[in-house]
Amino acid sequence: MARSLDILRFRVRSLLHRQQADTELDRELRDHLELQAAEYVARGMTPDDARRAALATFGGVQNVREEARDARGVAVIENVLRDFRYTLRALLHEPMLLVAATLSIALGVGGNIAVFSLARAVVFAPPDARDPATLVNARVSHGSHVSYQRWRDIDAGGALERFAGYSIEGEVNWLDAGGAGGAAVSIVPMLVTANFFEVTGTPVARGRAFSAAEARMELDPHVAVISHEFWQLRLGGDSGIIGRKLVINGEPYTVMGVLPSHLRSVAGFGIAPAVYLPLNRSLGPDSRAPKATIVQLVGRLKPGQGLAEGRAALDALDRRLARLDGDTLYGGVQDFASVNTFRTGKEARTIGLFLAVLGVVSLSVLLIACANVAGLLIARGTRRRQEIAVRLAIGGSRARLVQQLMIEGLWLALIGTAAGIGLSVAFMRVVNSLSLPIPFPIALNLTTDRAVFACALGLVALTVLTCALLPALRATRMSLVPALKREEPFYIVRRFTARGVLLTGQVMVSTILLVTAILFVRNLVRTQVTSPGFEVNHALVAQIGFVQGRRDADHATFLQAAADRVRSLPGVAGVAYAASMPLTVHTGSSNGLTARIDGSAQTQHVEFSREIVGPEYFSTMGIRVLGGREFVETDAAGTPPVAIVNEVFARRYLGGKNPLGQRVQFKEDSSDFRVVGVVANSKMRTLGEDERAAIYVPLKQSKKSLRVGFVITRTQNDPTALVGPVRQALGALDKSVAVSVEPMASALQFALLPSRIGASVLGTLGLLGLALAAFGLYALVSYSVSRRVGEIAIRSALGASRGAILRLVMRDATLHVGVGLALGLAVSALITSPLSAFLVAGLSTTDPLSFGGTALVFILVSLLASWLPARFAMRVSPVVAMRLD
Amino acid sequence: MRPSDLIQGTLDLLILKSLATEPRHGWAIAKRIQTVSGDVLQIKQGSLYPALHRLEAQGLIKSEWRQNETGRDAKFYSLTKAGHSALETELTQWERLSGAIRLTLRNA
Repeated sequence: MARSLDILRFRVRSLLHRQQADTELDRELRDHLELQAAEYVARGMTPDDARRAALATFGGVQNVREEARDARGVAVIENVLRDFRYTLRALLHEPMLLVAATLSIALGVGGNIAVFSLARAVVFAPPDARDPATLVNARVSHGSHVSYQRWRDIDAGGALERFAGYSIEGEVNWLDAGGAGGAAVSIVPMLVTANFFEVTGTPVARGRAFSAAEARMELDPHVAVISHEFWQLRLGGDSGIIGRKLVINGEPYTVMGVLPSHLRSVAGFGIAPAVYLPLNRSLGPDSRAPKATIVQLVGRLKPGQGLAEGRAALDALDRRLARLDGDTLYGGVQDFASVNTFRTGKEARTIGLFLAVLGVVSLSVLLIACANVAGLLIARGTRRRQEIAVRLAIGGSRARLVQQLMIEGLWLALIGTAAGIGLSVAFMRVVNSLSLPIPFPIALNLTTDRAVFACALGLVALTVLTCALLPALRATRMSLVPALKREEPFYIVRRFTARGVLLTGQVMVSTILLVTAILFVRNLVRTQVTSPGFEVNHALVAQIGFVQGRRDADHATFLQAAADRVRSLPGVAGVAYAASMPLTVHTGSSNGLTARIDGSAQTQHVEFSREIVGPEYFSTMGIRVLGGREFVETDAAGTPPVAIVNEVFARRYLGGKNPLGQRVQFKEDSSDFRVVGVVANSKMRTLGEDERAAIYVPLKQSKKSLRVGFVITRTQNDPTALVGPVRQALGALDKSVAVSVEPMASALQFALLPSRIGASVLGTLGLLGLALAAFGLYALVSYSVSRRVGEIAIRSALGASRGAILRLVMRDATLHVGVGLALGLAVSALITSPLSAFLVAGLSTTDPLSFGGTALVFILVSLLASWLPARFAMRVSPVVAMRLD
Repeated sequence: MRPSDLIQGTLDLLILKSLATEPRHGWAIAKRIQTVSGDVLQIKQGSLYPALHRLEAQGLIKSEWRQNETGRDAKFYSLTKAGHSALETELTQWERLSGAIRLTLRNA
């Protein structure tokens, strides 16, 4: 123990006082010389002779100094520092290598950090809440939500300490007093049970949260806690906000608190509601549907209670409650997980899958980049064969050389990673400022923190190992004699050199990237040209958000009045209203019902989408009426119920008979109507969907209460000119409804979003991979040509034709590219199949064009990449080449 | 004989042994070894000082500056505790090894 302390002290002193240690050594050596000389004098020599003799016995002073320094154990650290300086200087002298390597690594590392942060923000990050480890998301009985009464019973049931409930599905209309014309806008609230803040411990930055006692539903609380972003962006950061009133759904709510900025809500997935409102009489459960499921459960474990324990307790409690409800089939826990663990469930799986694909892809790009850097370093190592051989021959240690080459790799990795972090920070800035074209308040708060830098550090380690170790070992493992004589050892012409294998792998990974990229780009192109079945251009969509509390309001009359107002505007060619809008989040409902067609004795199961629309809907949308008629004003309550079906419905469920006049009855909702028209098929939910059966029913005959309605305007010219007038006309009707007006093309952006993101991200990565692989190939071929100049010259001197030389040069490249390409295509066929969820119908994941296209691109690129050096090889003059060595 | 002819590690043993009785400076160590060996072993400074520094780095000897016999400051080396025990182990090993070699040379 004492000894190791001694050693440590000695080393540190030696390092810190290097100068002093050297001076001391010099003095010691001088003393020695003098004592030696003194002895010689004592033996009778003259002082001068004695001095000379002493020096002669001594050996080189400088050598002793070096060796003593080595012995002090300082050498290792000093050498490393010196190598860092030396290699950096050497790299700065090769700007091409530095730039190429930095770019490669920066892109690879930057992409990976970005994907990592994205995944963390969306799937892995725990919400901002008190002690998230003991906070659990629970699903019981039928699914994600439970009824208000069930929440109360579960909360009171004592299975866990407490349970809160929340809902993020609704929208409310907030009267933006400062906005244009004082109109209401739709915002997404988090509706919560009174105890929400007490249970979750969601922090509040300003003011305070409402307590369970003061926000009890029975008290009809009208209070709100607002998000920092809503406060800043919509309320202008008003410093006296606490105590002010917000008009929501036409009723005043008092602001009690403001959340911290960038709060990660308990709902997860980056969902950031604008306001948190306690359930009250207007927002709470409908007294006519007490069993409607309205809240998701989030529970707090009892102190010391484990997850399994809590799950079992809740399971027993819910089964008992379900039995009391007369519900014996369901009941019990479906899902029970800490909010700390990453989100489960269907949504999480889809998002997770996408991120996983993205992660694999970006990691592949990094590997390609590393392979490139490794290739560059190997080539450089081989160029320096002579230098390295000389150093080894005069006694340089191999370990020291490897160390130096590793440090070189480390420099490249560090510089590249620094650039990569810079890139990803820029990327995160862009993402954070981006508002995604989705009707949902998602705020991805990508931050750089310790986890991100740890990720970056891991990537550096990976990069260094892949980039530098192989070339370092390879460069120092050579036989010295041929290298000193600048002769080519045999292994240069070996088929499978380390570089060759790297290149093959690189081509393989790039192939996979490119196949996926082409697939997504084709998907995007196809979705863009896929006709949705209605006319998208020259149309406006106005979405009207009704106040949810007012269930007595006559939405149909309102929509008709709105349509009439818009119709009177100049430049309007047609107007219709509807309860749903295809290819947005507000599409018609999906149904699977038992139908009796035309009074036949047999019933059949039918699946269809139900769209609730008004008069002139089809002519305004541009959907062809194939037979019968459109809805008219008189298709209303009090007249015989009618419906219009689309072609698929008629073909699939109404037999070959003329559908017009057929009677359709549904057992479940006891509806009963006659078909008065048949229309062409159109897309309902996604552009990629297969043909979907649909039934259109007149809005005035529907009993369903509406949350949103749409007024669709067909314009004569550019629809953007009419956005303002339509908004004004609709806003003037009722201040409490929320109106948003936009051209139909932009309203449908949501349907294109997945393929657009996929195409741009994967397309970029694919092109990047291709560029890196082409670069690698070019480097390999030109390098091997430069090694074989002599051989080529002899061959052509002996009469080899230009064609033969060309074949000789291209053979290697073709082999590597061919093998890599074949492997890459095979692997692609396997790994692209999970992507089918993102693709439009008719585009298979083994799309021949994507695969063929990739193969073609690679063959062309590799021909070009090896053609340039090959051309050089064919022009080699024998005389010049012979003189080279 | 030159130190390079000595079996590796023997120089260390010789230095440790010469320091066993009293602290010495570099020249005195070399002189002592030379005298005791009857002028057979001449330690070159080029080997002596690296060896001293190595032993110091290993924590087997320590150094301090004090006055030498002519009244000048010199760097005196002395054994540490670890040095003493290292010397004992090394000596035992050396005796076993040289004994074995002697036996082999005599009887083989």
